[in-house]
Amino acid sequence: MTEPFDDKRLDELVDLIVQLASGNLSARLAPSPARDSVDAVITGINLLAEELDLMYQNLEHRVAERTAALDQARRDMERLALNDGLTGLANRTLLADRIGQAIARAERGERPPCVLLLDLDEFKNINDGLGHGAGDRVLVEVAHRLSSVVRNTDTVARLGGDEFAILMPGTTEEGALRIAQRALAELQKPFELGDRAVWAGASIGVCFGQRGQTADLLLRDADTAMYAAKARGRGNVQVFRAEMHHAARERLQVASELGVAVAQGQLRLHYQPIVELATGTIVAVEAMVRWMHPQRGLLLPVDFIPVAEDSGHIVELGHWVLQTAIGQLSNWRETVPESFQVHVNLAPVEVRWPGLDEFISTTLQQHAVAPNRLALEVSETGLMTGDIAGLDALQTLRRLGVSVEIDDFGTGYSSISYLRRLPIDTVKIDQSLISEFATDGDQTAFVGAMFRLIDSLGLRTVAEGVETATQMEQLLALGCRYGQGIFFGEPRPAGDMTQVLSARPIPARST
Amino acid sequence: MSIPPAESRYESLTVDDEGFVQLRWPAGAKITGPSAKDAFDEVNRICAGTRRPMLVDMATTKSVAREARSVFGEPCAASRIALLGRSPVDRVIANFTLGVSQVPCPTRFFTDRDKALAFLREGPHDGTV
Repeated sequence: MTEPFDDKRLDELVDLIVQLASGNLSARLAPSPARDSVDAVITGINLLAEELDLMYQNLEHRVAERTAALDQARRDMERLALNDGLTGLANRTLLADRIGQAIARAERGERPPCVLLLDLDEFKNINDGLGHGAGDRVLVEVAHRLSSVVRNTDTVARLGGDEFAILMPGTTEEGALRIAQRALAELQKPFELGDRAVWAGASIGVCFGQRGQTADLLLRDADTAMYAAKARGRGNVQVFRAEMHHAARERLQVASELGVAVAQGQLRLHYQPIVELATGTIVAVEAMVRWMHPQRGLLLPVDFIPVAEDSGHIVELGHWVLQTAIGQLSNWRETVPESFQVHVNLAPVEVRWPGLDEFISTTLQQHAVAPNRLALEVSETGLMTGDIAGLDALQTLRRLGVSVEIDDFGTGYSSISYLRRLPIDTVKIDQSLISEFATDGDQTAFVGAMFRLIDSLGLRTVAEGVETATQMEQLLALGCRYGQGIFFGEPRPAGDMTQVLSARPIPARST
Repeated sequence: MSIPPAESRYESLTVDDEGFVQLRWPAGAKITGPSAKDAFDEVNRICAGTRRPMLVDMATTKSVAREARSVFGEPCAASRIALLGRSPVDRVIANFTLGVSQVPCPTRFFTDRDKALAFLREGPHDGTV
């Protein structure tokens, strides 16, 4: 046997240990054929090195796995913190950050960013009428549609509820407005919810950033422009102007003053005649609310109804209108025939109000007015939101004997065949379809075909916005039986209308 | 399973007069995972459902791969195992095998054949000659 202290294997063993200590865990030393104790130590160190190498590799593998899991968790956290959970769009925090970045680039010479702020016009009706599940599906689809119209460099965000925003860095005014119009068009298309289609629509405020502006200010101004779009009848795009701040403050003021307007008797009803075209006979009147404001004078519905709808005053205001109109009809008992109707507009939120049918029934009884003398006008978009509760309420009112009329038909996206499924008696054609008669022969033929289709459904047609004798004659020739507009008379206070009704004999309506 | 190369295949596998399985590895054998599996499959086959003590002659075995040591930790037809070697190297290899795997039956290393057989006789076995 070799003497241990002369054994060169010991030197080789020391080299092996040095290699292993330096981190080379794959180093090995072959034992000699002697298979003595030195070889046993060599074998043992080889085996220990193999175990250590394996443990080290396992550890490395686990560290890599844990690091990847931590990275994924960090990315998930960032996504949760910066993205909207429902739609996956950027949230307000991420949007503000990106606006900040775009403004910083503008400081270095790039064109300032533009922010589009979008709010769905009918979302509350969809959410309240069809439930949150339906509302969520609409929001997800809105996110898809908005993402489909923007550039790769733009950011689409959901700010909360039914409010969305688009950040367009380095854009021109023309480019931003083109995207705004495309977004508007996309959101005006129907949303399919199973076998039902609903319409959401949107109002869009646009604000072009300026150097030195903050993200908060840019968003605030876009919001102000969006409210201006709402105030202009919804479904449109408005570019921010400084004077809009004044209008926004005014809206707040109006909302606050509306609360006392009813109680202090500041509201008025004006009545516009609805005429049988063939005879010129006034067969009904439409009640139109006005606000005799103590400082600002007589205000038209466009000045306060949108605010009333947003602020929740609309139900109280609507009750006053119904009571006053029905009371006035009762006062005209000696002046008009028994078939004479008063038309009253109902906002979608009023239609959904649970006690509406009972309130109307009680009011009619109080004034001894037959239900068939009241006609309720509901806007096309109001009905098209697919609100089941609203449709049920209208059905109940029809069973009571009250007439139900679809208002402004032709401004939304409803098909004529869809009219068959609605609980209505009358279709009021929007004035925008009538106003083009003089210049557009095709339009005249189109409206004529529409009259015939509506007639084939057993529904009556009233044309709105008749301004000239020519229009009246064209309508008559096309088969329309009833008309309304300044040609037949402006809306006027009850006293004036009483004189008009008393001055001419009123034949009974033939329908 | 593919047949292991000759340098790593067991040399002989028999059942002796006492009913003990005798497994012998050739001098300089490099026992790999497949060769260990091949040997243990054969042990199970010849035991044919009975459990027998087993003497494993691993003297002058050159190396036992980690995968092979794992195979030795799997349950098999052996009721007791005596690992027989001669050198300190055999002892280190054998004890690494015992230490790395949790052996499924009483297993010990011996350098003396008689002591190894005596250890095997200590335990019950249901094998017959």
